[in-house]
Amino acid sequence: MMSLLCTSDTHSSAHAVVTAIVNAIPSPELSWTGWILSLPAISVVLTGLCCALRVKGKLPGWITVLALAGSFALVLKLYFLRGDAGAPVVVHLWDWMNFSWGDQSKWHSLQADVSVYVDSLTLFWLLFVTGLGTLIAIYATEYMESDVGKGYSRFFNGVSVFILAMCTLVMADNLLLLYLGWEGVGLASYLLIGYYYKKPAAVAAGKKAFIVNRIGDLGLAVGIWLIWVNYGSIEFNTLFQVWQDTERGVGGFDKSLIPYCLMLGAFGKSAQLPLYVWLPDAMEGPTPVSALIHAATMVTAGVYLIARTYPLFALHPDALATVAWVGGLTALFAATIGMAQYDFKRVFAYSTISQLGYMFMGLGVGTTFGAAYHTLTHAFFKALLFLTAGAIMHGFAGQLDLRKLSGLRKVPGFKIVSWTMLIGCLWLSAFPFSAGMLSKDLILVQALSINNHGFVWLGWIGLITAAMTAYYSFRVWFRVCAGPVFYVAGEDNHDDHDAHDHAHAAHPAPAAHAKHEFHPHAPRWAMNGVLLIIMLGAFATGIPGYMELRGQSNWAQVMIAHSSAFAGSVQAHVTDAVNFGMNPHQLVEVFGTIASLGGIAIAMYFHLLQRKSADKLRAWLLAHNSIRWIPVAMENKWYVDELYHACIRGPAWIAGHILHFTDKHVVDGLMVNGVGRIPSALGGLFQPLYNGVLQGYATTMAGGSALVVAWIVYRWLVSGAAS
Amino acid sequence: MSSFIPMGPKVAVLLPEIIVFGGSVLVSIVGLNRSKTLRKSVPLLAVCTLLAALVAIALGYSNEAAEQAGVLMPHFNKIIKTIILVVGIGLVAISVGHIDRRMEDAVARGATTFDPMRVVRGEFYAFMLLSICGAMLIPGSPDLIWLFLALELTSLPTYIMVAMSRGTRRAQEAAVKYFFLGAMSTAVFLYGFALIYGSAGSLQLNTIQKVFSAQIESGGIDTLGMTGFILCILGFCYKLAAAPMHFYAPDVYEGASNPVTGFLSFIPKIAGFSALALLLTTVGWTGHSIISETGTVVSGLPAPILATLWMICALTMTLGNIGALLQKSVKRMLAYSSIAHSGYMVLAIIAGPGLGFEALLFYLISYGVTNLAIFGALSGLQKRGEDVERFEELSGIARRYPGLAAWLAIGSGSLMGMPPLLGFWAKLMLFMAGIQAGHTPLVIIAAINSAVSVWYYLRLIGVPSFSPPGTSSEGVIKGPSSWPRFAGAVAAVVVVLLPFFASRMLGNSLDFSPVRPASTVKPVNTTTEHVPTEKPTQAFDTALQRSPHVEQAQLALHCSPTRL
Repeated sequence: MMSLLCTSDTHSSAHAVVTAIVNAIPSPELSWTGWILSLPAISVVLTGLCCALRVKGKLPGWITVLALAGSFALVLKLYFLRGDAGAPVVVHLWDWMNFSWGDQSKWHSLQADVSVYVDSLTLFWLLFVTGLGTLIAIYATEYMESDVGKGYSRFFNGVSVFILAMCTLVMADNLLLLYLGWEGVGLASYLLIGYYYKKPAAVAAGKKAFIVNRIGDLGLAVGIWLIWVNYGSIEFNTLFQVWQDTERGVGGFDKSLIPYCLMLGAFGKSAQLPLYVWLPDAMEGPTPVSALIHAATMVTAGVYLIARTYPLFALHPDALATVAWVGGLTALFAATIGMAQYDFKRVFAYSTISQLGYMFMGLGVGTTFGAAYHTLTHAFFKALLFLTAGAIMHGFAGQLDLRKLSGLRKVPGFKIVSWTMLIGCLWLSAFPFSAGMLSKDLILVQALSINNHGFVWLGWIGLITAAMTAYYSFRVWFRVCAGPVFYVAGEDNHDDHDAHDHAHAAHPAPAAHAKHEFHPHAPRWAMNGVLLIIMLGAFATGIPGYMELRGQSNWAQVMIAHSSAFAGSVQAHVTDAVNFGMNPHQLVEVFGTIASLGGIAIAMYFHLLQRKSADKLRAWLLAHNSIRWIPVAMENKWYVDELYHACIRGPAWIAGHILHFTDKHVVDGLMVNGVGRIPSALGGLFQPLYNGVLQGYATTMAGGSALVVAWIVYRWLVSGAAS
Repeated sequence: MSSFIPMGPKVAVLLPEIIVFGGSVLVSIVGLNRSKTLRKSVPLLAVCTLLAALVAIALGYSNEAAEQAGVLMPHFNKIIKTIILVVGIGLVAISVGHIDRRMEDAVARGATTFDPMRVVRGEFYAFMLLSICGAMLIPGSPDLIWLFLALELTSLPTYIMVAMSRGTRRAQEAAVKYFFLGAMSTAVFLYGFALIYGSAGSLQLNTIQKVFSAQIESGGIDTLGMTGFILCILGFCYKLAAAPMHFYAPDVYEGASNPVTGFLSFIPKIAGFSALALLLTTVGWTGHSIISETGTVVSGLPAPILATLWMICALTMTLGNIGALLQKSVKRMLAYSSIAHSGYMVLAIIAGPGLGFEALLFYLISYGVTNLAIFGALSGLQKRGEDVERFEELSGIARRYPGLAAWLAIGSGSLMGMPPLLGFWAKLMLFMAGIQAGHTPLVIIAAINSAVSVWYYLRLIGVPSFSPPGTSSEGVIKGPSSWPRFAGAVAAVVVVLLPFFASRMLGNSLDFSPVRPASTVKPVNTTTEHVPTEKPTQAFDTALQRSPHVEQAQLALHCSPTRL
């Protein structure tokens, strides 16, 4: 394996690398790409109608599946038409905004059309957004069946809105349209997190996600504004040409602020420190939503944003270092929390935050390919993990506590779920030669090979995090799927007890003995089929990584190398020894394998072989005052929510009440009523004007007209200055 | 006069108006029928008439025929007519169920029998169609008499509509006020017409344009003509509800029933603005700026007219917004808001060439649609068979009628200019047109006014959606017909979605008006800033190819072919 890696040192020269971003070609003949957006839009309308007409049945689900599959087919058509290395194209759909005023020299024009910018980066994202979107929609047709006739249409309406907005985001040819999509996915996320709107936790989680994202979105909005002011355009095609020119690209405080603003937006959407708090709570939404939006696609929008504007970031090395460090620290931080959660959907949520941290680390240290490739592999294995979690929730009436489920691989009907979950966990824990390992290693190798900004330390943080990741992912699998068969039905987190009813309908049992006679409700063809397909996809995503490892040209690498994201990325010198006399490849290979296998081994000991010892360890840690803070803090998520509550929510609450008081007593009391008194105080003067008497109005109107005419006649006509 | 104009093209151009007029006759007869079903079909008939007129425009209207018929601004004519018809359909829809409400109730209860003497439904819709017909005739007027008659045809039916829309004394009082003050304003602009005739010696707008061009060339428009123009502008101010002729608006809008108020705040306004645009075209207000031989841009408007409009604009916006701040009645508030919006639109008239023209049209569309959303929602509610008009009555209705509250909120947001909504783009275009034309101070005044207006528009969002229901909002229920609510819903959706398709709406906005050859206009002493000539763009070239006067025209658009 090591020799295999050493041969790949020369791989970077094997690929054709673009040095300059090609100017996009206007391609009206590709106007059919508009249908990639139109199909989800049609689905939004139709499912909305289903909502209004209270359609009973699975019609809205299949409408959505068909529309998304159509979009995916078009994306595939586009992909095969262009190939991996096609030049970027711009497809003008229709005019939207085109303003200009004053002299044209400065920022006196604003052009933003509804146009599509398609380059390899866009296609890369579109492929997995629409592909996974279709699969997860199929899965959801079964998963959401207990809500048929109630929230079913609303759910699929939200999914359609999401895919529409996400496609807009990645296909936008200008920052304003991107922002529209950005807000659209935020809205869809809000609506779907709060899907169970009768559940207070879900409503609170939806609000939290929306509000935390506003902070990031403010950053993005300011960033877009600054870009417009400084570069005079918001169209990518123009901006890329400007950003490639260092002279025009940098200079001045404003311009150096832009990457930080965009970064803030990306951190909000992609749940990085300090704005990650919304994502764990977002798990209150239905599980397909968690898989689609909060694991595979929407949360990678931040990665996309930075990859899309990478030529700009390349001009600001410090900004990139910030991205790398925030990503690395988030990865570590989220992993520590993930190790101590009992709700396994939350474990996966923290693992998503952690893996997104890796992606940002990859962007920051200069391997856009590593970041994009990790996005792709992560999209598949994390979607897989969430969907298996969903299948378990579906089957066990919402049970999510990993202490209350065990040995599911022996429960009839849960074989596929267990084994696909194993694949997901292996991929997540970067098991040697899994796709997860291949993509993660690209990032870590790059980090370790750059002796700058302390990136080597970041590489080591990444390796430590990898060990934690392996531990917590297998903690879930060994607890839930391995060991003796044992399960407790959940409380069913649906708003009423449909899942119970449903389970009983499938397996007739007296309702009174629901707890004792509980029969798990095994997933059927739609869920199992989707799990298998996504598992195959997770295997397939490893292929580019192997080819990369062997120094061969592969489609993923070529795609990223032929997009704007590659301009300015750094070529690392991977042959120099870094630590322990090993070069980065060898380091990552050796320590990555140790981390992965070690983490799995520890998890196996504590959670499969000696389950009691895990409790003993916890008790032992809690018994010693000097170290008891570690498990307590980890289980309580480092008290970040409480900290934010104290620092932000508290003051905001107080400020709100002060403002309310001011509004009620000062503004309404003094100003409004005060202003209200002015007319009566000056009544003698103004009253006759608005007295409601016809003659009064007539007099005023005639008088006003007479004044105007008199003034004009005097000013221009009598004084002779007529024009 | 008609000997100048061939009859054929004229009829072709007037076909939509002929259809609407015929429809009004039909409607007034059908409204008297004993059969309840037939009586109820009257609004449907009116809508069909308007649709037929729309089809006639879409299929039969050609700019060439219109120009032959003496229409000064053929494309403008078409767009204005289309706007009036489309919004008119909505206005008919929001009035369904309001007219004869009590009588129909009584007949249904069996308290009384049908009496053709007491039914007014047919007349009401007939007057509505007549007024719409009048407004449609305005932008295509070839002469002053026509313009005068069309303006009166717009206004006279509305006086009666105010009176018959509601059986109350207040409505009758409002109608009487509206009528007398309207008559006075008519006298003012009729006097203006007379003076213009005296100065130009012709009633034909084409001839007047030529005469005044010559006058401007030889030093300026004479006192007689200038006074005439000022008086006309002041007279039109009544239709726009602009200062100093705005006093009637709050009383009349409050007195009329909700759908009629919606009608009053749109149809006379668009009529007034098209009359103003048409008249000012004769003194150099065109859709294009014209570059004279010495390279200066001629805005076209003589200084006194510009000064008058400037003053009207600033005063109207400010008085409207200040007045709206403290109103307790939604309708009075909307009346003042309507005054303020007239002020904003006068800014577009001042900005004139280039963007201003488009800004005016876009603002009219935006205002018309937004108005429909608000009045649709208001007309969809009732309290003890009466209109809902005070803020307290709307308090907390979102809990029972979330849709209606949402349309009020969307409409209100659009009126205040909240970003993604239609009104925002309209205002943005307007302000940019103002800046481009060099009227930055006026734009600043407008922006401040716009900020002030947020105060009272937010109440229209806040009170229905966030206030707790009170005693006065308890009796508020849905209106007798669902058509107003439906029209409001459609309008609200349009307010949200139209910004994305707006560029298609205005279409080839470059040829709004014929281009006057620059040789007829010399650089005149106007207050407009001299904007440096820029290199003609490609779009400019295509504009030239489309222009009928391509050989002589030396025009440049000092904006790119801007479309929203």
